[in-house]
Amino acid sequence: MAPEEDIQSALQKVPWFNSLKTEHFKKTSELAHLRHAKAGEIFFREGDKQDFVYIVLDGRVALDIFVPHHGKVRFYTAEPHDVFGWSSVTPSVRQRTAGAVAVLDSTVICFDAEKLRQFAEDDHDFGYLLMRRLTNVVASRLMVTRLQLIDMFAGPAEYKND
Amino acid sequence: MTDKNLTIGSTVALPKPELDLLMVDLRKDGFQTVGPHLQDESIVYKKIDGLKDLPRGILSEQKPASYRMIQTGKDRYFDFIPGGQSWKQFLFPPRHTLFTAVRGSKWQLNENDEPAPRYALIGVRACELAAIHIQDRVFLREDFSDPIYRQRREELFILAVNCLHPNATCFCASMNTGPRHRADFDLCLTELDDVFLVEVGSELGRSLLSARTFDLPSAFIQNNANQALERAAGSMVRSMDTSDLPSLLTGNLEAERWTDVGKRCLSCANCTQVCPTCFCWDATDQVDLLGKTTRRERVWDSCFNPIYSYVVGGNTRPNIRSRYRQWLTHKLGAWKDQFGVLGCVGCGRCITWCPAGIDITEEVAAIRAEVKP
Amino acid sequence: MTTTVINTASHSAGYTNKLLVPHWAEIVKIIQEAAGVSTFQLRFTDPEIQNRYRFEPGQFNMLYIPGYGEAAISMSSDFESADGLLVHTIRHIGNVSKAASRLNVGDVVGIRGPFGTSWPLEAIEGMDVVIACGGIGLPPLRGAIYRIIHNREKYGKVTLLYGARTPADLMYPTEYEAWKKADIDMQVTVDRGDETWTGRVGVVPMWFYHFRVDPHKTSVLTCGPEIMMRFVIYEALARRIPSNHIYVSLERNMKCGQGACGHCQQGPYFICKDGPVFPFSALENIFNVEEY
Repeated sequence: MAPEEDIQSALQKVPWFNSLKTEHFKKTSELAHLRHAKAGEIFFREGDKQDFVYIVLDGRVALDIFVPHHGKVRFYTAEPHDVFGWSSVTPSVRQRTAGAVAVLDSTVICFDAEKLRQFAEDDHDFGYLLMRRLTNVVASRLMVTRLQLIDMFAGPAEYKND
Repeated sequence: MTDKNLTIGSTVALPKPELDLLMVDLRKDGFQTVGPHLQDESIVYKKIDGLKDLPRGILSEQKPASYRMIQTGKDRYFDFIPGGQSWKQFLFPPRHTLFTAVRGSKWQLNENDEPAPRYALIGVRACELAAIHIQDRVFLREDFSDPIYRQRREELFILAVNCLHPNATCFCASMNTGPRHRADFDLCLTELDDVFLVEVGSELGRSLLSARTFDLPSAFIQNNANQALERAAGSMVRSMDTSDLPSLLTGNLEAERWTDVGKRCLSCANCTQVCPTCFCWDATDQVDLLGKTTRRERVWDSCFNPIYSYVVGGNTRPNIRSRYRQWLTHKLGAWKDQFGVLGCVGCGRCITWCPAGIDITEEVAAIRAEVKP
Repeated sequence: MTTTVINTASHSAGYTNKLLVPHWAEIVKIIQEAAGVSTFQLRFTDPEIQNRYRFEPGQFNMLYIPGYGEAAISMSSDFESADGLLVHTIRHIGNVSKAASRLNVGDVVGIRGPFGTSWPLEAIEGMDVVIACGGIGLPPLRGAIYRIIHNREKYGKVTLLYGARTPADLMYPTEYEAWKKADIDMQVTVDRGDETWTGRVGVVPMWFYHFRVDPHKTSVLTCGPEIMMRFVIYEALARRIPSNHIYVSLERNMKCGQGACGHCQQGPYFICKDGPVFPFSALENIFNVEEY
């Protein structure tokens, strides 16, 4: 199969892309490519310049932050259809704030972030849909983070006692 | 004149000294006679032998956070309204040993097999009898029956007394529990200056009374008694409107008033102690120094105790507001779902004995005014 | 307010009915689970009691350690396991449970029970089942998982979502393979992992975004920290699963286990007697009232 058809059929597996109108779908697929990563392969490190935004098709990618004395702490895993590296599409963040590493053998779709941003700038209709989608991603990520922050499994000694 | 033709429902005029002899007969029958006694400037319930132990010539005056007694000098024994104790201490003892466990190669368990005392309660008011009926619903259920309560309840002798001088904190009339007794007593007395008017309520009451010397009551005496009873019913100044309970409370858990009362309440648990229907308890282990013998006791507890609602990870009722809300929404709310009736008999003890003077009739009215202006 | 509460338990078998007098049970085995958590396997010292003791998954026993008191501990046994031992997983953080951590094989504890309502495993036959639990919320469901496995053909798709704080806090990890082999789709997640953890990192409620449920034939059983349950319920309701098909297991300060001492009340319910398992439809008015 030619790479172009490859990427298109891959994108069709993701519901959000499938719902785009044809010209948006075509344009998006032009700035995307597939990547097959083995377990342990690193997508980006903390501090890296932003380059791609990713969607997991298959496998699992862990996001981690290096914490002194604790090593790399994995705080989220992106499962199939999860987006990671999304901050590269937002206007202001320019450096990776976390690392991403394949935990299992994974297939991901990579989108050129710069070109995606430009496309959104040029075509505000698409830009709106993209940002709306990203807002949902960020919202659900925020909810997960909040629940992790509340530390609901912590023992009572670790709670402040009143 | 002695008339042996007594039946259940008969009423006689009993000279007051005959009550002493009746209590002697009760003790001969194996009962422990317990009743009101003047002590510590209040009325307590304890073992009494006869008229000499009763609060003679005492009238009481109650207000929120105030209980006062007035000497009348009269030869009357039941003019007071009971104090901060209720009869629940006899059926549901404040402390009771359940068993002891002795450590050996195994643990040896010795259950408390002490036989339950047979109590004759002397001077039970209508609200108190209603409270006993409510506690019957709590302690004697199809799915669970408390053996300690049951043993004491089965043999209970009740000498009821009609209230003639309700105090300011009484509101039994609005709770439909008094001031007049209706049924379920062994004997019921209405006190007049010279005699007790005694009604027979059971076979045991009948047989005890028939051994006494008494007269048939004259129409004059009956009238006096009835008038006194009617005056009593009409003299109550407090009332609680229960027409919209429980939903008024259980449906308004976030009313502002809870925050307001939460600031006044001290969470001292007096109300739960004096309340004749409150039933919460705890079980504690008393261990000797060597850790060889432990005695497991059941003790009274209160939802106002700070650790009452402690669970791993915290306290589900960490402040006074939530604890007061629990007490009132249970007593006048959830109690009905659990036991079929509200948990309050209108005795007013919680109002009298609250050091902050919190009045539940006022709180309920305030919540009603807040949510239905 | 009238509500129907499910009580599928049989209270009468093996049940001590004198006030607070326990039966004695010997500790046969102790398994160290996560830090501060161990599993005790017990057998009644009286063989007659051991033979007639029955329970339903979701119920609990009151465990008595003389000198310390009692603690309510869920039954985690696989009732059809050959040894018939009572399995109790205990987190050692309270007075009584800490005393339990100092016990050894051969020591004897008091048992009263079983108490409470159980997971409605018969009522949900024929449905897809989502079991969503976290931390120490898995032990009360372990008996239900085994009951489902032993009757697998009676249920549709069975999904088990289990979350813990870190990989070291996972309960019963050696059993997951067997559960998966029994056609249970098990998804494990932790709040945070280290570099050796190749499983999921996230929270249990999020998992509802990753698979589809048919709201007409899905039941949810949930047990764990109240916050986790609250979000699981939220996600389940958002997917239109009816509230009477969502079952929760509540926890309150249990003392007598018999609906007598008053401590475990929440609203009109005695959690020990009307619960701990409730359909969420019975709790809608009281579940989210703060400090109630």
